[in-house]
This record gives sequence, C-alpha cells and structure tokens, in this order.
Amino acid sequence: MSVLPWLVAAWLFGAGIYGIVSSRNFVHLIGCLSVCQSSTYLLLLGIGYRWGGVVPVFYDHPPGTKAVDPVVQALVLTDIVVGATVTALLLAMAVQVDRKYRELDPQKLRPMRHEGHQ
Amino acid sequence: MKQWLKLALLAVAGCSLVWPVWRIARALPPFGEPTGNYGPEVNRLGPPLRHISNMVSAVNFDFRGIDTLGEEFMLLAAVTGTVLLLRGIRGEDTSAAPDIIAGRALAGRAESTTVICRLLGPLTVLFGLYMAAHATVTPGGGFQGGVVIASGFLLLYLGEDYSAWRELIRSHIVAALEGGGALLFALAGFLPLAEGHAYMENTLPLGDFKDVFSGGLMLVENVGVAFAVAAGFTMLFLEFMEETRSLEGDGDK
Repeated sequence: MSVLPWLVAAWLFGAGIYGIVSSRNFVHLIGCLSVCQSSTYLLLLGIGYRWGGVVPVFYDHPPGTKAVDPVVQALVLTDIVVGATVTALLLAMAVQVDRKYRELDPQKLRPMRHEGHQ
Repeated sequence: MKQWLKLALLAVAGCSLVWPVWRIARALPPFGEPTGNYGPEVNRLGPPLRHISNMVSAVNFDFRGIDTLGEEFMLLAAVTGTVLLLRGIRGEDTSAAPDIIAGRALAGRAESTTVICRLLGPLTVLFGLYMAAHATVTPGGGFQGGVVIASGFLLLYLGEDYSAWRELIRSHIVAALEGGGALLFALAGFLPLAEGHAYMENTLPLGDFKDVFSGGLMLVENVGVAFAVAAGFTMLFLEFMEETRSLEGDGDK
C-alpha cells in the first residue's frame, strides 16, 4: 500500500499531460494543467508524511509529538493559492485569444504572425 | 501539428523518462518514513524559538519567509496580469448594464437562495477572518483565511444579483488592499533592518505560546498575506464577471 500515493501522483500527472497534448480547447487545457499541478501536491505531501505523525500544529498535542513535515505542507499551501491565480491568468489569456481569433482550439490556431499578415 | 504526431512525441518523451524516474523513485525513502532532518528540526525548534504552535505558519512566515515573499509577489503579478489582460481591452467604463448577455435569459434567484446566502455569506467571511487571525496558533493563516473570505464575498454575489454586488465591492478598494497587503509584507521585512538586524529577522516581542498574539513579525506578515489573498481572489472574480457585461462597441453582438 505504501506505493499507492506515488502511483496516484504519477497517474494524475500522466492524465493531465495526456489531456494537455490531446486538448481541443484552451479551457480544457488549463483544467488539465491544474490536474498536473495537483499531482505535485500529492507527491510533496507524500514525501513529508510520517507514519503515525500528527499535524504539525502543537496546540492539542504537546511540542515534541511525532508530526509530519511542515515544510512541504507550507510549499503546497502557497502553491495552491498561487496556482489558482495563475490559472485565472491563463483563463484571461484564453478569453483574449477567443476575442481575437474566435477560436479556442489549440490545434487550429496558427503561430503568431506580424500584424497585417493575419 | 498532427494529433498522432503529438501523441507519438508524448510517447517518446514518456518512454525516455521511464528509466530516470524509476531510478529516482527507487532512491526515495519509503513512504511514511522520510529521512530528511529539516522538517523534524522545524517541529522541534519552532515552539521554543518562536513561541508559536502552527509550524506551517512558522515555515511560511519566518523560517522561509523570503520564499513566501516571492510567492506573494507571484500572486500579485498573476492578479495584475489578469486585470491588465481583461480590463485593458474592456476599459474602465462601468456604465453598461451588468449581468446581461445578448441571447441569454436573465435568471432570477429563488428567495431561499437569497436567504441562505445572506446568512452564510457574512458567516463565511467571519470564519475566514477567524482562520486568518489564528495563523500562529491553530491550522489556518493568511493564505487559507484569505481564500475563505473571498468565497464569502462570492456567496454574497450568489444571493444578490450582480449589480448589487458591484455596489458592495469597489474595484479600487480591492486593488488597494491587494497591493497594500503585498507592500505590508515586504515592508515588514525592513522593520528589523532599522535596528541593525537582518531582513525579516523576527525582532518583535514573540508573545506567549498558544496566544493569538504570538509570533512577533509573523503576525504583521500574516495580515499582509490575508489582505492580498482575499482582495486578489475578489479582484479576479470581479474582472471575470465584468466580462459578461454587454458593452457598447464590443463588436460581437
């Protein structure tokens, strides 16, 4: 059972990457990127976990109780919040792409060209 | 690029990664028995050195405070970028009728929705404030509390209609809180410099263990983060909602 967290993380990452590569819509692609990102949360939390460890908050448990790693938890915490805002930034870009080209399919969009050649 | 070619490239990349990833995975300590000393040392030293019980906050705001400063400015940059992208094209004109899109029926709200949201919205904001304020004592902190506060504001939108919400949430106040929070965090680091200490060194009185006002400089930084996160998420929601307004000269009606 102890490999399950790694397997789930790998599966999430793989599913996200496959979604990104095969995506036919930028909004879907951004969702897939978030799936990839959540695999890193699972990986980090898995690395910091200790059997029988409590949360690294010593309010109910006296300091010195065996606890899980607080450093990876802090990493994941800030990453979730920043990740959400970066997702919003990407979605705003998708809104602009749609406004300019009336198209959200990454496979139909051509590379950017100089204005006027469009 | 053809679809099959993309998938073939993905397969090649995946296959070439199998061996290195396998090597790394084999070298990892077994699940549940990490061998690193950093986390356990933080857990051991945090309470006596900083008088606080939440070690995640201790890492975020003290032991690795400069990292969090970087995260904070990433957040600010992402929110600013989103606002620039959306508002830059749309302009700052707020006179157009909100919530109305040509061809979409204007859905009303059930009275029960309004009642529930009016009850839960303020309570959610209160809970978010509680979470943010107890950063150094119990699970919570500026990041988590800020997101909860922002979701409380979303409940207010759900219960009222957009124009009422727009009256409540002023874009320039939200923007000031967003930037001000990040500024407060950055400036808090300069405070110790005035006394000849290192940047972000925790020189304020540390308070008592398990007390809300424990942690010294962490409290100031936490308030900055709570402001920036709550205002940042509200700002994002505001900007995306503004996209649904029918503006004159939008060109796609």
